[in-house]
Amino acid sequence: MRVFKILALFMAIALLLISSPDFISAQDEDAEYDDAAYEALLEKGKEYYNARCEACHGADGDGKGFVDIIRVSEKNGRVLEIYPRDFTVGVYKFRSTATGCLPDDKDLMGTVKRGITKSLMPPQDNISSEETEAVVEYVKSFSERYEEEDPCDQISVADPPVWVASEKSIEKGKKIYKDMKCWECHGDLGKGDGPKSNDITDDWGKRLLPFNFVTGELKRGSTAENVYMTFTAGLDGTGMPSYQDTLNEEDRWHLVSYTLKLMGLTESDKKTASH
Amino acid sequence: MKKLVFLALVLSLFIVDTSDARKKKKKYEVIDVTNGGSITGTIKAASKVDDPVMKIETKKPDEVEFCGTEFQSNMYIISPDLGVKNVVVALLKVKQGKAMPEKDYVINNLKCQFEPLVGLAFKGNNFVIKNSDALFHNTNLGIQLKGGKKRAVYNLALPNLNQVLKKKIKTKGVHSIKCDAHPWMRAYVYSSDSPYAALTDDSGKFEITDIPAGTYKVLIWHEGFGEVKQEITVEAGQATTLDHTFSK
Ligand code: HEC
Ligand code: HEC
Repeated sequence: MRVFKILALFMAIALLLISSPDFISAQDEDAEYDDAAYEALLEKGKEYYNARCEACHGADGDGKGFVDIIRVSEKNGRVLEIYPRDFTVGVYKFRSTATGCLPDDKDLMGTVKRGITKSLMPPQDNISSEETEAVVEYVKSFSERYEEEDPCDQISVADPPVWVASEKSIEKGKKIYKDMKCWECHGDLGKGDGPKSNDITDDWGKRLLPFNFVTGELKRGSTAENVYMTFTAGLDGTGMPSYQDTLNEEDRWHLVSYTLKLMGLTESDKKTASH
Repeated sequence: MKKLVFLALVLSLFIVDTSDARKKKKKYEVIDVTNGGSITGTIKAASKVDDPVMKIETKKPDEVEFCGTEFQSNMYIISPDLGVKNVVVALLKVKQGKAMPEKDYVINNLKCQFEPLVGLAFKGNNFVIKNSDALFHNTNLGIQLKGGKKRAVYNLALPNLNQVLKKKIKTKGVHSIKCDAHPWMRAYVYSSDSPYAALTDDSGKFEITDIPAGTYKVLIWHEGFGEVKQEITVEAGQATTLDHTFSK
C-alpha cells in the first residue's frame, strides 16, 4: 500500500512537470527539432562558404585558404600585408561590443554583406538574409569559443551631435588626439607613421600597420559612427586598444570631428574638393 | 493499475534524463573541506640556464632615457640548488572544494615593465590595471590557446598617468599580457577557476592545501620551459609530493 502511495506521488509530480510549459520546452523532442533546424542552417552556410569564402578563409576556417596573403598598396607607397582571418580563435575586429567580447551577430552579418573592401574581401551584394544568417552561423561554428561564451551587450551609438565636424569641435578633437596618444601609432598628421607604427604585431604574430587617416577609407566603412566604435570598442586581435573607459561621450565626438578632418570628410573639405 | 505504475516509472526516468541532456557546464561548488590533503613539492631545472638580457628599442627620445636600453628578463630565476621560481602549479577541472580566494589581481605598468611578471588570479575577482608611468601604455591581455594562438580578453588604452581600470576576471588558463606601444613589455597571469593553484617561490617550492581526496590533473607551467600535465592522487589528511624537473 505504501509503495502505491509513493508511486502515485511520483506520478503526480511527473504529470505536473509534463504539463508545465517550461518543461515542455525543455523536452528532447523539441531540442531535436531545434538541432535539426540548426544543422540544416549550417549545411546551407557551408555550401555558401565553400563557394564564396573558402578560397581565402580555408576549408577549416583557419585562414589558410588558397589566397594566403593579400597585399594592398596605399597612395603614399605604404604596403599593407593582410591575412585572411583565422576563425578558429573566435576573435573579431569589427564589433559593437566591448573589448574581449564576442561580436553581436549583426556585426558579423554586416561585415559579410559589406565585405572588407580595403582588405580585398569582396562584398556579397546579392546575398539573401537567410544565406547571411547561415554563413555567419557556419563561420561561428569553427570556434569552440561560442560554446563557452555568449556575446556581450551592444554598445549603443547615438546619432552624431550636430556640432560634429564644426571648426570648434575639430579644434577640441585635435587636443584629444594628442592627449590620448593616438599619434604615437597613427602619426601627428594621421598618416599611420607614428613612432610606434613599426613595432605593432597582431595576435597571430604578423606585423600590422596603424590606419592611415589620409586614405579616408576605414576597413569597417568610413562613417562617423564607425570611427566612434573603432576607438570605443577597440579592434581585438590588433594593437588598436579600447578607450571606452577613458573617454566620455562628448570627447568621443570631438575626437571623431578631428579624424573626419584628417580623412578629408568634413563638409568644408567636400566643398573645396568640388571647386 | 500496473500500467499506470509503469507509466509513472517511465515518466520519472524521463525527467531525470532530460535534465541530464541539458548539458549545463558544472560550476565550481564550495563545500566544507574537512581532513583535506595537500600537495607539496619542488620544481627544478636539470641544469643552470642563463637568464637572457633583453633589449629595449624605441623611437621616442623621452622613452630612451626613462625606460633604459636593456633589462634582465627574469625568465629563468634559478636557485643554487636548481629550484625554479615563478612556475605555476594548478589543479585542473576541480569540481568542488574550499572557497575561492577573494582577491583582485593588480597589473601595474611601471617603468616600462609589467609588475608582476608572473602571477595567479582567481576567476570572479577583478583585474586592477594601473599606469604608473607618464607614458602611454595599453594592456593587451589574451588567453594562450593551443598551437601558439591567442584570444584577446581585454585590450585597454591607458593614456593617463595614474589611470586605474577595473575589469572582471572572466576567463581561465594561462594569459599573456603585452603592451603594443612597448613590444618588450611582457607578463603572464594564470587565472584559476578553483582555489587550488600555486606559484613556486625563490627555491622552487610550492604548496597547495585543503584538497578533497581524489585524483586530479595538474598543470605545471613556466614561461621558458613550457608546460607539462600529469595526474596526481591526493589522500585525505595526507601530504602528497609532486616534484618535477624541467630540461631545456
Ligand atoms: C579575397 C579573400 C576573401 C574572401 C573571398 C573572403 N574574405 Fe573574409 N576576410 C578576408 C581578409 C583578408 C580578412 C581580414 C581583414 C582584416 O583584418 O583587415 C577577412 C576577415 C573576415 C572576417 C572578420 C571580420 C572581423 O570583424 O574581424 C569575417 C567574419 C569574414 N572575413 C567573413 C567572410 C565570409 C563569410 C566570406 C564569404 C562570404 C569571406 N569572408 C570571404 C578575406 C576574404
Ligand atoms: C598602440 C597603437 C595604437 C593606438 C594608440 C591607437 N591606434 Fe588606432 N589603430 C592601430 C592599429 C594597429 C590599427 C590597424 C588595425 C587593422 O588594420 O586591423 C588601427 C586602426 C584604427 C582605425 C581604423 C579602423 C578601420 O576600420 O580601418 C581608426 C579609425 C583608429 N585606429 C583610430 C584611433 C584613434 C582615434 C586613436 C586614439 C584615441 C587610436 N586609433 C589609437 C593602433 C593604434
